[in-house]
Amino acid sequence: MNVIEMKNLSKYYGKSRGIIDVSFNVEEGEIFGFIGPNGAGKSTTIRTLLSLIYPTSGSATIFGMDCIKSAPEIAKEIGYLPSEVFYYDKMKVLDLLKYSASFYQKDCRKRIMELAEIMDLDLKKRIDDLSFGNKKKVGIVQCLLHEPKLIILDEPTSGLDPLMQQKFFELLLEENRKGATILLSSHVLSEVQRLCSRVAIIKEGKIIRLEKMSNLNEDSYKKFKLELKEAIDKGYFTLSGISNLEIKDKTISFLFKGNLNMILKKISNVDIFNLWIEEPSLEEIFMHYYEKEVERR
Amino acid sequence: MNIFFRELKAHRRSLILWSVAILFMIASAIGKYSAYAESGQSMNELLSQIPKSLKAVLGMGDFDLTKVSGFYGMFYLYIVLMAAIHASMLGANIISKEERDKTAEFLMVKPVSRSKIITAKLLASLFNIIVFNLVTLLLSIALLEKYSNGEDITGEIFLLMVAMFFLQLMFLTIGTGIAAVSKQPKATASVAMALLLVSFILSSAINMYRDLKFLKYITPFQYFEAEKLLNQGGIEPLFLFLSFGIIAVFVSVTYGFYKKRDLSV
Repeated sequence: MNVIEMKNLSKYYGKSRGIIDVSFNVEEGEIFGFIGPNGAGKSTTIRTLLSLIYPTSGSATIFGMDCIKSAPEIAKEIGYLPSEVFYYDKMKVLDLLKYSASFYQKDCRKRIMELAEIMDLDLKKRIDDLSFGNKKKVGIVQCLLHEPKLIILDEPTSGLDPLMQQKFFELLLEENRKGATILLSSHVLSEVQRLCSRVAIIKEGKIIRLEKMSNLNEDSYKKFKLELKEAIDKGYFTLSGISNLEIKDKTISFLFKGNLNMILKKISNVDIFNLWIEEPSLEEIFMHYYEKEVERR
Repeated sequence: MNIFFRELKAHRRSLILWSVAILFMIASAIGKYSAYAESGQSMNELLSQIPKSLKAVLGMGDFDLTKVSGFYGMFYLYIVLMAAIHASMLGANIISKEERDKTAEFLMVKPVSRSKIITAKLLASLFNIIVFNLVTLLLSIALLEKYSNGEDITGEIFLLMVAMFFLQLMFLTIGTGIAAVSKQPKATASVAMALLLVSFILSSAINMYRDLKFLKYITPFQYFEAEKLLNQGGIEPLFLFLSFGIIAVFVSVTYGFYKKRDLSV
């Protein structure tokens, strides 16, 4: 079953582009990654889903209900962590969390205490006395306190130190085990790589790829690095299947996707001094999605 | 209800400050009156020398300033101006602050419709302006009693406060209407304030130049002037209808636009 379904969702701000024809589904129980550089349209997509803004065209459903018409109904089961957290400055953390809980017909007191304990959050402080990272923690507790069925996170780890990130990810995995579906937007690929089972890649407002994480990881990309005994013609390795080619004097590195026999024969024709073949990180795989043109030297 | 109480709490401080301001305003007015009253008739003669247009601008009109009711009638203009400023700021801010302070991404993803949020905020503002009005009423009665010299002015004060309540409602809903339409949450309070000042200045101009009298329907400050209320027998039905019209239009603008537009997040 699909928890989120988007059909040709487009959003323009006047003439400027927000998102164009975004269509993808998030299935129940999965952790779905939403990757793209800043300004690609991740937040616009999420805000449209939450009907903070309305699409220019297209539609979306959450839990099978129209995301605009049934927004209040849908919101009962959504936990949302915005990329920048802002709360009422003069409130105390506990008061804010209680206020947040008062919108759901549930007793959330116990869960607030548990989450605050895990995230090491001081409930007595005033919001405007908190550091950015601590505000983020308030956001995390606020997002999870009503045990939502769908958790939407927009750039969740910015401002958190690595230890807190770790605890937060464990929390998310725990929620996921209990049945929550998670949509996680990020420009940090490694965190998506760690958590997500599927990803959508967005660039300049358009979804350019929708893939299972396992496929992406295994996507026969190999990272080659060779050290040569003597410099060779720069054009020697410009052939199909090779990307991110970098030649620095006698050191050459590139990504390769395709028939390995062919590339190995090609390499065996030159005099090499050293050779590394590695699994590329997602960052490296996605570099050519991000860059408008691969820089060639 | 949770939003309503949250808003009451958020505006408590400002309401207290405004109440103190009213207290000072009325107290200083009375201080001036006691000085006038002591100097007796000579003050009235002096005042009669002031050109009529200047009197109109100062809100003095044709009041008998030796009587406390006349003096209060003159001061009413400034009390009303304060009430209008309070109401329009309140209206503009209570709606647009969620976007201005970027708390919209918190509140607007809760399981409540935007209409319900507006309703809660309107009710909270209504509560605030009622308190403002009652504070003014009680302070006026309490402080003026001492100087009334047997003149019973409680009825007059009641009438003036009822009229002021309509003005407050108008400026409140104009404020919420502007905030609901505007996509620049930081600008709404200034826009509401500019509109208020323009209608106030226009009202003064109408009092100065009788030729402009036909414009009296477009500025709420002309609807309930103390002089007319006290000397010409109460609230004019036409202006009462106009007030209801303005309030109804701006309430529906508030709901209509806020539901349909993108929040600036």
